[in-house]
Amino acid sequence: MILKIIIGIIVGFIFGYTLQRTGITKYPRVMGMLLLKDFKILKFMLTAVTFSMIGFYTLDSMGIIELNPKPLDWGKLVGGLIFGAGMGLLGYCPGTMLSRIGEGKKDAWVGLFGTVLGILFFAVNVKFFKTHFTSKSISGDISEALGINQWIIVPIAAILFIAIIYLANKKVDDFKHNF
Amino acid sequence: MKLKQQKNGEWHWFTGGIIVSLLAMATYVVFQALSYKSYPFGITASFGSITTLFKYPFTALAENPIIQKYSNSPAALISTTMIFSVALGGFVAAKLNKNYAPELIPSVWKKYHGPSVLKRFIIVLFGGFLLGLGAVLASGCTTGNILQGWAHLSLGSLVAGASFFITGIIVAKILYPKTGGQQS
Repeated sequence: MILKIIIGIIVGFIFGYTLQRTGITKYPRVMGMLLLKDFKILKFMLTAVTFSMIGFYTLDSMGIIELNPKPLDWGKLVGGLIFGAGMGLLGYCPGTMLSRIGEGKKDAWVGLFGTVLGILFFAVNVKFFKTHFTSKSISGDISEALGINQWIIVPIAAILFIAIIYLANKKVDDFKHNF
Repeated sequence: MKLKQQKNGEWHWFTGGIIVSLLAMATYVVFQALSYKSYPFGITASFGSITTLFKYPFTALAENPIIQKYSNSPAALISTTMIFSVALGGFVAAKLNKNYAPELIPSVWKKYHGPSVLKRFIIVLFGGFLLGLGAVLASGCTTGNILQGWAHLSLGSLVAGASFFITGIIVAKILYPKTGGQQS
C-alpha cells in the first residue's frame, strides 16, 4: 500500500512538474496548438512518443515488457471526437488540468468537477455506451493488422514523427505575443 | 542539475519530451513487474477514482460496473494519489520558478470573450463533461492514448488521438475565428 502511494507521488509529481516547466499547461499554448499557430505541445508530444515507441518496442523484443495495444472500436472515434470538443472548450486536457490546479488557475477546478460528472454520466449509461460503441472491436496490434513485421513499421513511424517535428519546428514557439 | 532553458525560462520541448518519455517507460516496466494490466499514467483512471466517491451518497452506484472497475483496480491507489501529486508538481514548479500566477479565468479568454466568470465557468463545466465522457469512451485521454497509445502504435489510440484534434481544432476555430496573427 505504501509502495503504491510512493509510486503515485513520484510519477505524478514529475509529470505535473514537467508539464508546468515546459509550458504545456498554458491556456494560450493549448489554444495556439489547436489554432495551428504554436506547435510546442505537438513537438513535445511527438518527441515523447517517438522516444517511448523505440523504447517500448525494444523492451518488448527483449522480453522485459509486453506491449498492450488498445483495440480499435467505435468508442475510440466517437469518444475521441467528444474529448476533442471538450479540450477545445477548456484549453487543457485532464493531465494539464491537474497541473493547472496546482498553478492556481481556478477555472481548472470547475473543469475537474465537469470531468467527474462526464465519467459519472458514462457509468450510469454504461449499458448504452457498451452496446453501441465498444461491443465490437478489432485487435489494436498494428503489425498484426497490416501483416508487416514491427521492426519495419517502427522505423517508418519514427521517421514520420520526426518529419512532423521538423516541419512544426519551422514555426515560432511563443504564440502568446500574437494571440 | 541545470537544464538548458529557453529565453522565456521554459524548458525546451525536447527536454520535456524526453523526461515524460523516460517516466512513461519506467512506470510501464514497474507496472508490468507488479503485473498491473493497465497503463501507468492513466490520468483518466485518476479522474475515475474521484468519481467512485459518488457511491457513498448514491449507494446504488456501488453495483455499477464502471465504478467497480475504478474502485477495484490494483492501481486504484496510485491513480488516486496522482490527482494530488500532479497538482503538487504544477504548484512546486510554478512556485520555484516564480511564475505562480493565480487567476480566475485565462486572460486570453477575457480579452476575446469578456470578463464574465460565470460564462467561462459554464463553458468549462460543459467542456469538462465532454472531456470526461470522451476519455472513458475512448478508454484514455491525451496521456493514455497519445503519450502511451501512440508509442505502442495501438490502432485504437491512433484513431482516438487523431480525433481529439479534429474536433479540438474545429472548436478552437469557432472560439477564436479571426486569431491568426491578423488581429495582433
